[in-house]
Amino acid sequence: MTTYRVTIANRENATFEVEARRPLLESLRAQGVDLPYGCKYGGCITCAAKLTAGTVNQRRQVALNNRQINAGYVILCVARPMSDITLEIGVDSHGELYRNPFLDPLEPHELKASPHQEPDDGP
Amino acid sequence: MRDAHRNGIHCKRDSLMECCGPGFASPADAINAPRETLLYTIAIYTGTGIQKPDYLATVDVDPESPTYSQVIHRLEMPGIGDELHHMGWNACSSCFGEAGMSRKYLLLPGVRSNNIHVVDTATDPCAPRLHKVIEGAEIRAKTNLSGPHTVHCLGSEIIISMLGDARGEAPGGYLHLNNEFEIVGRWESSMGDIKFGYDFWYQPRHNVMVSSEWAAPNTFMPGFDLEEVGHLKYGRELHIWDFEKREPVESFYLGEDGLLPLEVKFHHDPDSTHGFCGAALSSNVIHWWKDDAGKWQWEKVIDVENEPHPEWPIPVPAVMSAILVSMDDKYLYLNNWLHGDMRQYDISDPHAPVLTGQVWMGGLLGKAPEVNGVKMAGGPQMFQLSLDGRRLYVTTSLFSTWDNQFYPEIRERGGVMVMIDCDPINGGMTLNPDFVVNFGKEPNGPSRCHEARYPGGDCTSDIWL
Repeated sequence: MTTYRVTIANRENATFEVEARRPLLESLRAQGVDLPYGCKYGGCITCAAKLTAGTVNQRRQVALNNRQINAGYVILCVARPMSDITLEIGVDSHGELYRNPFLDPLEPHELKASPHQEPDDGP
Repeated sequence: MRDAHRNGIHCKRDSLMECCGPGFASPADAINAPRETLLYTIAIYTGTGIQKPDYLATVDVDPESPTYSQVIHRLEMPGIGDELHHMGWNACSSCFGEAGMSRKYLLLPGVRSNNIHVVDTATDPCAPRLHKVIEGAEIRAKTNLSGPHTVHCLGSEIIISMLGDARGEAPGGYLHLNNEFEIVGRWESSMGDIKFGYDFWYQPRHNVMVSSEWAAPNTFMPGFDLEEVGHLKYGRELHIWDFEKREPVESFYLGEDGLLPLEVKFHHDPDSTHGFCGAALSSNVIHWWKDDAGKWQWEKVIDVENEPHPEWPIPVPAVMSAILVSMDDKYLYLNNWLHGDMRQYDISDPHAPVLTGQVWMGGLLGKAPEVNGVKMAGGPQMFQLSLDGRRLYVTTSLFSTWDNQFYPEIRERGGVMVMIDCDPINGGMTLNPDFVVNFGKEPNGPSRCHEARYPGGDCTSDIWL
């Protein structure tokens, strides 16, 4: 069983060992981290966190546009770690997540990708 | 003080007649019902940064009560992350003839979780209690639906518009529940060519239902990207249904006049074919009716112009996210969430509404930054009118992610409920100076209130067969 270390920068750098195959939301909540969530399938953005080091697989998320992805946001209910990672969690990490869409429009390359079927990557 | 109030008349089961089923024989009877003393509004923590469940708040609206204009009870949902939004009764005047039915249960869907909470409001109207939860996972598995929105009873059964399939993609469909709150399955025979779902209302004497379009849950839940309107990821059509056959038979393409057609309301008069829809982004009211030749027609009857703003590169759209028709079908109320005004129109001639009242509260134009001593974050959003048409209760939060985009200060300040006094005889509206409920001061921190309902029925529940 592959495991990785998650460091939560805005929780005094607390660290947790998590399984590579499990979504981060599930692993961290099971270890007592109080995290927001909503839909639990990658569609609603409520559980977004900011990834500041390492890589995750979040192919199943359908909530983020490309600007949010480029700013480092990850959807914890579907993201799985692919290395040791560092996260900032909760709404204190959401500074760049929300923007007034009229004052700050997206460039064409920043739009959300069209919905498409991803091969199931297992539980 | 609270106990004294709870033992008082407000906490008894009023409004349920001994002889008949729930509701009223006619809209005229509803107008003459006793004045509301309580109302229920949902309040959310989802998306606010506070790790607490959303809840149903009971607000005391009896001016004779010592706890008038206060939250007197909070029913928390079992878990976090639902995003409660709209609600609906298990029964309304469509069951008036059924003595075995009563308006006892309020259904509270969670847009994000798909859980549907069934709340008993009759055993103790001041302190509603959770009766049952229909789990979102069960709904997804049995019906391939998600994103619950509007709840209407259907005689003794219930249908709920679901805005997505189990993966959050449009168009979704309609969830059918029986009166034991068990899943019957999908209500509709076909969604036809409908691209999106949102609100619906039916008028049984004309065998018609009208439905509107927001977007797929995966599009609207994360927030609003203007570019996605241009890419046709938001709706711009209304749909006429054969209600008995449960299938759409005609669609109105509203185009630029009808971007994001959200709330739909028929006249309360069950013989009328007239109805209205507020197109949120275009900020227009669309009117539809059946003409003398039996053909459905539509026209734009209200157009709220965009307003200039010193810091905006383009004029600010009003964002008319809700409309309501008074029980006597004489007035239409609408909100302009980004501008900050509530409006009243006389619709005696539904082809030619006349503006008869306007009140400013919050909004981006800076016309009323403070109301009754409370600094506003947000603008007028959802509202509920008393059956007699004299009191309009208005809340300020739209949807957590959209609030966070347009009014980020709502995180610290929370939502607000105010009351507007309305004149149903001559028209006109005035902000009531004695009523304000500041959800920024809730015990667990600032929450955000949205839709409201009265225990005895209201202007957005009842349909007559």
